[in-house]
Amino acid sequence: MNEAPDFVLFLGRFHPLVVHLPIGFLIFAFLLEILGRRKKFEALKIAIPLALLLGFLSALVACILGYMLSLSGDYDGDMLDSHFWFGVITTALVLIAWLIRTDKINLKTDLKIKANISALTLIVILISITGHYGGNLTHGSDYLTKYLPFNKKEEKQLAKLEKVEDAIVFDYLAQPILDNKCASCHNESKQKGGLSFQDSLSIAKGGKSGATLIAGNAMQSEMIKRVLLDPHHDDFMPPDGKTPLTEDEITILKYWIDNANADFSSKVSSLETSEDVMHIAADMLGIKSASKKGDVSLPDVPKIEASILEDIMNEGFTVRELVFESNLYEVTLPTYNKNMGSNDLKVKLEKLSKLKDNILWLYVENGGLTDDQLKTISNFKNLQKLVINRNPITDEGLASLTKLESLSSLNIYGTEVSKSGLETFSKLKNLKTVYAWDTNITAKDLESFTEEESPEIVIAP
Amino acid sequence: MCDHHDTLRSNNKDLQKVENQIDRRHFLKKTSLGLGAIALGSLLGTEKAWASIGNNGNASVNAFTQNRLGLPHHLPKAKRIIYLFQSGGPSQLDLFDYKPKLVDMFGKDLPESVMQGQRLTGMSGSQSTLPIAPSLFNFKQYGESRAWVSELMPHLSEVVDDICFIKSMQTDQINHTPAVTFMQTGHQLPGRPSIGSWLSYGLGSDNENLPTFITLISKNGKGQPLKAGLWGNGFLPTEHQGVQFRSGKDPVLYLNNPDNYDGTDRKKMLDYLDKLNTIQHDAYGDPEIQARMTQYEMAFRMQTSIPEVTDTKDEPEHIFDMYGKDSKDPGTYAANCLMARKLLEKGVKFVQLYHQGWDQHISCPGGVKNKARQTDQATAALLKDLKQRGMLDDTLVIWGGEFGRTVYSQGQLTKTNYGRDHHPKAFTMWMAGAGVKPGFTYGETDDFSYNVTKDPVHVHDFHATLLHLLGIDHERLTFKHQGRRYRLTDVHGHVVKDLLT
Repeated sequence: MNEAPDFVLFLGRFHPLVVHLPIGFLIFAFLLEILGRRKKFEALKIAIPLALLLGFLSALVACILGYMLSLSGDYDGDMLDSHFWFGVITTALVLIAWLIRTDKINLKTDLKIKANISALTLIVILISITGHYGGNLTHGSDYLTKYLPFNKKEEKQLAKLEKVEDAIVFDYLAQPILDNKCASCHNESKQKGGLSFQDSLSIAKGGKSGATLIAGNAMQSEMIKRVLLDPHHDDFMPPDGKTPLTEDEITILKYWIDNANADFSSKVSSLETSEDVMHIAADMLGIKSASKKGDVSLPDVPKIEASILEDIMNEGFTVRELVFESNLYEVTLPTYNKNMGSNDLKVKLEKLSKLKDNILWLYVENGGLTDDQLKTISNFKNLQKLVINRNPITDEGLASLTKLESLSSLNIYGTEVSKSGLETFSKLKNLKTVYAWDTNITAKDLESFTEEESPEIVIAP
Repeated sequence: MCDHHDTLRSNNKDLQKVENQIDRRHFLKKTSLGLGAIALGSLLGTEKAWASIGNNGNASVNAFTQNRLGLPHHLPKAKRIIYLFQSGGPSQLDLFDYKPKLVDMFGKDLPESVMQGQRLTGMSGSQSTLPIAPSLFNFKQYGESRAWVSELMPHLSEVVDDICFIKSMQTDQINHTPAVTFMQTGHQLPGRPSIGSWLSYGLGSDNENLPTFITLISKNGKGQPLKAGLWGNGFLPTEHQGVQFRSGKDPVLYLNNPDNYDGTDRKKMLDYLDKLNTIQHDAYGDPEIQARMTQYEMAFRMQTSIPEVTDTKDEPEHIFDMYGKDSKDPGTYAANCLMARKLLEKGVKFVQLYHQGWDQHISCPGGVKNKARQTDQATAALLKDLKQRGMLDDTLVIWGGEFGRTVYSQGQLTKTNYGRDHHPKAFTMWMAGAGVKPGFTYGETDDFSYNVTKDPVHVHDFHATLLHLLGIDHERLTFKHQGRRYRLTDVHGHVVKDLLT
């Protein structure tokens, strides 16, 4: 079927361009006819035969080019046949309409008026049908209705998953990528290169150039080779103008072919899965990946007014947003700014409380912070990192920090914390590291503190 | 306009023309900004637009409300970096990349199957043989991570469990100047911004009294020269260039006021100077004028901040002991490591330390030994010191040179001596601290430490990873110059996710 010479295919590709000419001409002819019925516009009727003639000629060219294009074999048979025959019929009807209009076929006057109108109406209907089939061939049959409101077509609904491990690799990970990035050209009705990603059968079948994948060998599989080519290479997929696959997507496809052996029913849990893949998969599925200790996700917090931030900065705090537009901040009271704003630390911290849920990292180093003031800080519930070294803090003040459930890093070197402070650490379930050099905690104290879940405590180099 | 008396006026004819322009500029600026702001305000939600025109009072407020670059892109792991650059190309074969099989191949010609047509330098390319030179030094495994370190680094071997080794570094350059330039700017030719400049441009300053990006060169290094372009800003605004401290007693000169001047009116003088410079800037639009204004202000603030930060008087004796006896001699590698820690503590974002002389073409064993002696203790001490202060939590430490060295001997190979030539295809670097896996080794080389056999890390990948740790997507921090957008990694680079915690 693919024996058509290149030049024919080259011309054939002009079909989608030329095909719009007859559509325009013929609809214009129809409009002229409607308008021409009114006295005011009667003169327009003169132009109808010309519009019909141009419509016929361009339709004829479009038909020929369309036939040439169909020789490429990239299109689905049934849909193509319908499009083909509707096109031909439309063209023939246009010819007849023109012949009637120009009296080459003689009809009685009243019959002729009826014939003229009905022919044009029929032409518009036929053109619409032909055009619809053509559109389906080019864009896929669900292109038109995909975003149709109130008519969400029933997709293969996948049950929401709790754990990445439960996901069937193909259904949950690989297929969404293929659907998204490949299926607009490789589907049942439009099989570019004879390849369809409609379902497991058609994927297994492959395309004109053979199997699209080799189970267990991603790098030799055509599917992966094509997406990894230089983007300017002729064989690169997806072709120019379409969104290329991201690195993550390629990783997932490779994982499916290599680790899952391109199997359609394997689950993530049954396979050897790298951390990287787990992360990508978790992202794709909208699951928070199995959290390690201390990996606290970013909280959702309300926006803070600029005036409040300004107020806090006027007290000497340095405020930096940790992620752009996350409203999450790193706040530092630099030693050189300590005396800025005449208020003492207690008042400063109270002002800072207006920002309390938005602070992720807090640095108050060598600032004369007392146990009492630490209690204010213990209400900053989203704190992940707290750096309060070289302050007169004792175990008592430290105990108030147990409320900080997100805290993963605590720096208290040079404070007066002692062995009983260790209890506080074990209550903080996300605490990963405590920097406690130059405190009253000794290496001996730590010997007895070796529970499974306890954080790493750094006391000496 | 009625507020002429507020602006600086002069009777100079040349300047009068400029002054008229100012009026027009002011008018246009005010009206167009006003209209623009109203339009913007309705688009974006009003607070932001008003906030940016409303007050010019507090610079730091504006600095972050106008986060024009949209940074950071994600939650950073590191907030500062210290890059211990070992200039010259340290021999990975004598320090970290243990190759026991070489002992049996002593003196044999390096097989072509290993070299694979690799282009050599003119220094060893014409040798009739390329005799394999196994390292003279003993290697042992250390720490829980069982990392291999040679006997030349006795101090560093104590802290291997904090270190993430990359044994599979690769560069494109085989000679010093292009290779160092490539490592520091992402391109072999001079003219691109250095890593520190990109960070200063992208993330700004944590301490307005000190430069964001400081370069220290140890005086006891000696070797291939370094040039200011390595810490240059390239096409980025000039205030983002690295500020080089002198290696000596006075890291920055002329900070003291001259005799008989108390400095009280200096601020006033600078304010007037600012006004004059603003006129010049409005007239000529040269961004260098603005950069100069920024730098005058910085110099003024450094008059007080620098003596404070460079003074090591308050450091206790045991800290000096930890860094080694060199640390009391200003300008040495050890003293610079100590100063670097102090700078980082004060909020300097990027300290670029250079130690030269790792270029052992001849007498490699003696040379490497000497270099290791100069650096080992202080490097390890810096890691320990940062760790005990909890700073390793958000500081990234980087150690490495511009390339590695060859397994074969340049010049004559004897039982006790060999030389090693430049080798770009495989070398070792390490990182420690914020966001990188501690006690971890990544990448492998072949039995000759000549080719990477597993997990290569190209210089561009290293840059991408570094930016990632600071919360920057290396593909999105760009600057438009001469008609196109540039990045540190330009069109290359992948984040090496396996290195990250």
